[in-house]
Order: sequence, then C-alpha cells, then structure tokens
Amino acid sequence: MQFRKSCPSILLLALALTLSAAALQANQAPATPPAAAPRASAQVTDELGRKVNVPAVVRRIVSLAPNLTETVYALGLQERLAGDTDYCDYPREAAAKPHVGGPMSPSIEAIVALQPDLVLATTSINRVETVDALAHVGIPVYVSDPHTVEGLLAGIRKIADITGASAAGKSMVDDLQTRLDSLHAALHGRTPSRVLFIVWSSPLISVGQGTFIADALKLAGAESVVKSTKNWPEMSMEEVVRLRPEYLIFARGHDDPDAGSLEALRKKPVYRDLKPVRDGHVVSVSDSIDRPAPRMIDAIEALAHELHPEAFAALHPDSATQQWDFPALLYTGAYATASAKGGYSCGL
Amino acid sequence: MRPLTPRRLLSVCAILAGILFVVVVFSLRLGAYSISSRDIVMTLINRVLGRTDQIPSEFNLVIFGLRLPRIALGILVGASLSVAGAGFQALLRNPLADPYVLGVSSGAALGAILSLSLAPHSPLAMQGAAFLGAAGTIAAVYFLGRRGGQLDSSTLLLAGIISASFLSAIISFLMTTLAGRDLRGMAFWLMGDLSSAPPADPGKWFGWLFFVFFIAAGAIYTTASDLNLILTGEEEARHLGVHVGRVKLVVYVSASLLTGLAVSVSGSIGYVGLLVPHVIRMIFGSDYRLLIPATAIGGAIAIVFADTLARMVVAPTELPVGAMTALAGAPVFIYLLRRRMR
Repeated sequence: MQFRKSCPSILLLALALTLSAAALQANQAPATPPAAAPRASAQVTDELGRKVNVPAVVRRIVSLAPNLTETVYALGLQERLAGDTDYCDYPREAAAKPHVGGPMSPSIEAIVALQPDLVLATTSINRVETVDALAHVGIPVYVSDPHTVEGLLAGIRKIADITGASAAGKSMVDDLQTRLDSLHAALHGRTPSRVLFIVWSSPLISVGQGTFIADALKLAGAESVVKSTKNWPEMSMEEVVRLRPEYLIFARGHDDPDAGSLEALRKKPVYRDLKPVRDGHVVSVSDSIDRPAPRMIDAIEALAHELHPEAFAALHPDSATQQWDFPALLYTGAYATASAKGGYSCGL
Repeated sequence: MRPLTPRRLLSVCAILAGILFVVVVFSLRLGAYSISSRDIVMTLINRVLGRTDQIPSEFNLVIFGLRLPRIALGILVGASLSVAGAGFQALLRNPLADPYVLGVSSGAALGAILSLSLAPHSPLAMQGAAFLGAAGTIAAVYFLGRRGGQLDSSTLLLAGIISASFLSAIISFLMTTLAGRDLRGMAFWLMGDLSSAPPADPGKWFGWLFFVFFIAAGAIYTTASDLNLILTGEEEARHLGVHVGRVKLVVYVSASLLTGLAVSVSGSIGYVGLLVPHVIRMIFGSDYRLLIPATAIGGAIAIVFADTLARMVVAPTELPVGAMTALAGAPVFIYLLRRRMR
C-alpha cells in the first residue's frame, strides 16, 4: 500500500487541531443514537482486496478525499454525502458539508459522530491508520487505489454499484470511455511529447511510472521523462537538465498560483534557462489531473489539445477559439484566465 | 600554545584554502548531469575569457546556474555558522555551544518565517527578521541558563534545547495555520537545504550576503586577542584592561547576525558550528586569532563537502544537507559531552 508519508510534527499538530475540531462537532451530534436495526448488507471487495460489508442501501456517506467527493457529486449522490474533508473544494457546495478534518489526519470521532454507513477512502492521500481505526469501530470503508485511468473508471463503476447508483455510474463511465476512445483515435500515429510533470515545485516533485497521472499523460499523447518506480519522486534540477523534457507540465491550483505561468518562469533563475521555458513549452493544466475523479478526463483532453493541436485541427477548424473550449484551461505563452471553470460535462 | 606569527597564520589559511579549492573542484565535477573534468575546465576558461558563445547552454546552466551558486551558498553558510559557533563558545565559555543546539537557529527560522508571511517579497527583510530571532533567542537562553547568577553549562544546554523545541512548536503551528504556504518546501528548508535557487540577480545577492558576512566575522576577529584573555578568566582580563562587556556585546551581535544570515538562506543546518571549531582547535590550538579565520574556511569545506555527499548518496534525488551534518555532528556532540562529564 502506498499511503503518503509526511513530516511527523506537522501530522501531530494537525491531529491536535482536528481533535479539537472533533470535540466541537461531537457536541452537535444528536444525543440519542438511532435504533440499531439490523439491515441487509452485501460483502464487497475494495481496490486493496479488503472484504467490506456494505449495507444494501447506503444512506450516509463520508468521503475522505477531494476526488471521492467529486465522484459522489458526479454520481448525483450529494444528498447522501454526510461529510467530507477540509480539502474538498469541488464542486463548491462540497465545502459547505460538515468536515472531518484533513485527509491525512481526519478525526475518527468526527467521522463516527456523522454516523456513516459507508466511508470512502483512497490510497493516494489517506493513511492506513485511519482506515484501520474506522474498520475497528465497525464502519465499512471502501478504499480506492487507482493506478491507471482505466482503474479509475472501474473504481467509479464499483462505487456507483455499492451506493445504488449503478445506472448513473454506467452511463457516466460509458460516456467518459467514448471520449477517451475518440481522443485515442485523434492522436493515432502522433509521437508522444516528452514531458516533465511537476506535482510540486519546491522541492521539485514529479510522478513515477506507476501513477494514474503517468497513465493520464500517455492518454493525452505525452510521455513522462521520469522513469522512477517511486510514485512521487523528488527531482534535482540537474536531473531535469539531464532528462531534456520538451514540455513542462504544471498542475494549477494548490497554493502556488504562479506555478506554470510562463511569465513567472521566464523571470525565475535556472527555470528561465531550461529549454522548454525558452521555447515557451510550458503547459498549466487544471489540478483535476491529479484528482482521480470524472473531471480528470477533461484535463486529459485539454492537455492533448495543447500538446497536439494539429491532431484536432480537422475537428476544430477555428483554432483560435479552441483553447477556450475546455474547463481545464491552458496557456502556452498567452495567459488565459480561469473563466471557464465550469461544472461537469458529464454525469450530472 | 605555540606563538602565533603572521607566517603561521598565513600558511594555515593557505593550506585550508587549498583543501577548500580541491573540495570545490570535486563538488563542481559531481552531479546527476555528467560533465567531464575537461569540459568543466574548458567551460570555466571560456567563461573567464568571455567566450560565452562557445559554451554549450546545458553546461552553462548546470555549472553557472546550479552548481557554482550552490557552492557559493555552501561556503557562505558554512563559514557563517562556524564563526558564529566559535563566537558563542567564547561568549558563553562553553565548548558545546552551537547555533543549532542553543536554539538560535530555530529563533532565526521563526523570524524568517514570520517575515515571509508578513512581507513575502522583500529578501533583506527576511535576513533582518532572522537576525532579530537569533538575537532574541540567545538573550533568552543566556538568562535562562544562569543558576545563582553564574552561567551553568548543563543548565545552559537544557535552556537551549527547550527553547529550540518551543520555537519549533511555534513554527509548526504557523506552518499549519498560515494559509497558502508551501508546506513541503518549508519542511525541507527547516531541515537545512542549499538547493533553493537564488533570486533573479544572483551576483548582487551574493555580494550583499558576503558583505554582511565579512563585516560580522571581521567584527568578531577584532576581538580575538581579547577573547583569548577572557577565556583564561574574566577578572584577569578586566585587570589587563579588556572591556569585557563591550567585547561580549560585539561577539553577541555579530554571532547572532551570522546565524541569522545563514538560516535565512539555508534553514537550520545543525552541528557545523560545533564540529568545525573543535576540529580546528584540536589541530591548530585555541588561539582565537588563528581560530576565527581557520574556522571560517574549515566551515566552508565542511558544508561544501557535506552538500556534495547529500547530492550523491541518494542520487538522482537529494538529501537535505542538514541531515548529513547531523549524522556527523550529533555523535561528536555526545562524545564531547561525555568527555566533559568525566
């Protein structure tokens, strides 16, 4: 299992903060527990191979990661989402749900107080200790572990099935698959661009071959120059010079609004001398590319259009407006503002 | 103690400078991107002769954009921390004093982080805030470390360690609560790291940093013969006409400034200020007139060497250089502590 590790002192502090938040939320929980009537349940196997007993009818879901919250909304299950995390900011309504803390160190008490009959977790941001603690108090936890885009789609289907949204899940995944297929057809015969995907700029962190991002890059007609077997390898600048990427790809959002801005990079020492920056080959893609949720397909399409505009020339004769067609906005050279940050193009 | 002659001073400094040169060449040669020694020499020659158009752009970037600035930063930080360590050891009359152990580095880091959150885009504000943090911490540790009006060695160390953990807790709190801050980057920086790129105009920036370094280290050097007397006994020094209070003030301000300078550019790199003055004392004796310049060059050697190792051992990724110095320095600290207790 590849649960992310972090600085212990930060974790401890975050834990202390979430514990105090939990105390507040615990006060708001109903004083009397509901009648514990035995309900029909089915055993399902999650993406780590754990056996989980999920009630036949799931009424209260707690999501422990932004991508899972997005998926729940995309499946139309938002009424049943009882709580999510401090990081769940998309769609905007998700931020108004009760929070259980950050994904790395959610408050177990706050989760229990929300009385969920299903908790959704992911290996890419949650910790195994959280999952174990919830399982220990008898709360079923479905853990998703996507390493490819195909795995992501299968996971969405599975979550839809166990939450009683099979029909919505099937139509959404079919639609996403169709879009991926037409993308594949459009990119047929193109040489993949050699790219460096930058998850984080200081210290410089890229993606390893086993991550869903590396797979998403392939689907977008790109190939990561980093061949590491680690999921989130830390890179030195010299290594970047040695690998000679053609493009730098940044995930926009997070805390660094400058990341991927060509103007900012042209002023930054070292970066300004990198070939991709000199050539203007800097792509800033929506941060949905590092969130394995339905919106990730938007980001893949947008990236493909940016890297291989000529492949889509026939589809979009008016190439000037092409950049604006996608929710995941890009800029190479010209800075496009985030005006089209829209909703799902599918599923809702 | 062997008498110090100008000749001995110069020859010791020349030998150490020679070692530093070898380490710099070694460091310039090694890295993830491989360049042959011949190419490095050719690049340097072409640069010196102003034939920049003949240098391949990747060599230019790797040597002048990445490796040389990093080496220059290592020299500055190593020299600053070591001279600061030697200064604190004289000021507190305690050979275990070191900016990191005494919590001074944590104080400087707190100052730097506060200035980053209050005035993010003014680099010299960061150096100033780090200096204030360092000076405030050493003052607090000095007063906490006294017992019955006397500086007590173990109380002083405890006061330093407690201050460091208290300040680290405040730093963790700030890092968690300040929205929009780059957590991982800061965590890396706190461990001591030389990989951060210099700002847009590296030449001017380094010029300023080295200027401040020479002022502060020079100020400590002017007190060197007084420090020698103070170390044999404050009363005796006073009788011989040394202004003890003034000397201590100069050393206190300068050592805090050097610590603030080093921490503001590289985070808290531990144990250099302890290790280097000790090694120099063991080899060349404890005359401060020789110790200060020798320690400055020795510290530069230690950090450039440690950083080269930090870049190499887990290549292509990098360790923070603070991890390397702690690996070497912490055992030495324990050894010195046990020897004193006997």
